[in-house]
Amino acid sequence: MPSRSNSGVRRARPLLGTIVEIALPGDGEDRAAAIAAAFGVVEEVQRRMSFHEAESTLTRVNREAASMPVPVDAWTFAVLQMAAELHRDSGGLFDIAVAPRLQELGYLPGPRRNGAEGTFADVELIATEGGGTVRFHVPGLALDLGGIAKGFAVDRAVESLRAAGIVSGLVNAGGDLCAFGEAPFPVVIRDPGNPGASLLTLELRDAALATSAHYFADRLAPAAPQPPIVFPGAHLASTATPLPRSVTVHAPGAMLADALTKVVMLDPAAAQAMLRRHGAAALLVSTDGEVMCTEDWNATLHVSS
Amino acid sequence: MNSWIKILLPPAAIIGPAVAGYATTYLSVEQAQRAIFPGASFTAATVKLTAEQKKAIETASGVRQRSDEVKAWRVSGGGWLIVDEVIGKHEYITFAVGLTANGAVRGVEIMDYRESYGGEVRDPKWRAQFTGKTKAAPLKLDDDIKNISGATLSSRHIAEGVRRLLAIHAVALQ
Repeated sequence: MPSRSNSGVRRARPLLGTIVEIALPGDGEDRAAAIAAAFGVVEEVQRRMSFHEAESTLTRVNREAASMPVPVDAWTFAVLQMAAELHRDSGGLFDIAVAPRLQELGYLPGPRRNGAEGTFADVELIATEGGGTVRFHVPGLALDLGGIAKGFAVDRAVESLRAAGIVSGLVNAGGDLCAFGEAPFPVVIRDPGNPGASLLTLELRDAALATSAHYFADRLAPAAPQPPIVFPGAHLASTATPLPRSVTVHAPGAMLADALTKVVMLDPAAAQAMLRRHGAAALLVSTDGEVMCTEDWNATLHVSS
Repeated sequence: MNSWIKILLPPAAIIGPAVAGYATTYLSVEQAQRAIFPGASFTAATVKLTAEQKKAIETASGVRQRSDEVKAWRVSGGGWLIVDEVIGKHEYITFAVGLTANGAVRGVEIMDYRESYGGEVRDPKWRAQFTGKTKAAPLKLDDDIKNISGATLSSRHIAEGVRRLLAIHAVALQ
């Protein structure tokens, strides 16, 4: 296996609740400005879409959209529109209106909201020049972009690096990553049963990869807590279904890959058609520890040892 | 058509190179200084904390101050650069924080990230072997340095670390 050895530059900053890493292979002129600009873009996504920041656009939406249409910027609106499309396509399985349940489970901060358990179908999006407006049609709703905005931030960072003339690189936001350019990047997928070991290593080229998993980090306490992925209200009956331990999606973009991991996690069988429609492939580790993939997985990626 | 195909991973892939010792060095002290304060010059100003100062830092930040020593530099034109580390359950992270003359965060850079699932992270001897490793060495983006999909870490510890450094600034770097 020829291993091209590239010297390069690698930077990391704590953003989006994880560590965001930018890796650019090869030598070149000083690329510090391009990297700083790309991190700046990720910071901007965080400023707008964080559930945790009191001044974010998303927080304003969650506070005010039940009483009036709230105007949002083009980026936030693009993420909301993608969330709406995936919500429709998945028959309601992909639902960013699960924030109140995540708060209940302690995965998101804030008081438990009392009120109607709405879904994303109760959210009205209207496009305007330079963005759009968001309106909740039931009270007590709250949106969380945690399952999609990280991928969006990775896509915007890649766009920023390309615009700065960088031809090849990799942006990784806590496991949601995107490689661009001709260079192949080795990517390790963790073994969900033993996160200190790798399940397999892939070569990623000019595409995105995202993994959602609940790791049994403490093998002495196998009764792991529920992962921060929950069934939306209408699908609560499915809650008893054991979720796969780990899902990895390969897609043209990181936002898509990020969001689709949640659909595969919640309903692997139904997700197949959606994956195909979006030009995506997936690999999962079942509850029993079996490794399974979609038909086109091997065509898209090969395992390097 | 709608079925998942069970795959048997080749043994090499299953055994795989363990990520147990996953480690990446991003920046040396000098590179971190340049990244946060381009063009500035730096004067080392390491500070020894008294027991009272440590207590005040812990009270203000709500985070335990382990070290008695703060690795700090005065920045030309005002401000500070502090290098510190955070220790999580499975990770040990060295990071640099730049503060403006007013004590506002100007930038945070991760300098070094080390991960272990073998329980060594809290062992001072294990950590000591990395001390001083953050030199300006050319980095390789080949199989030595893995990109990992499926991170287990969160930046919560770093956020706490930054809060602690702000308290250190208020208590000991005025």
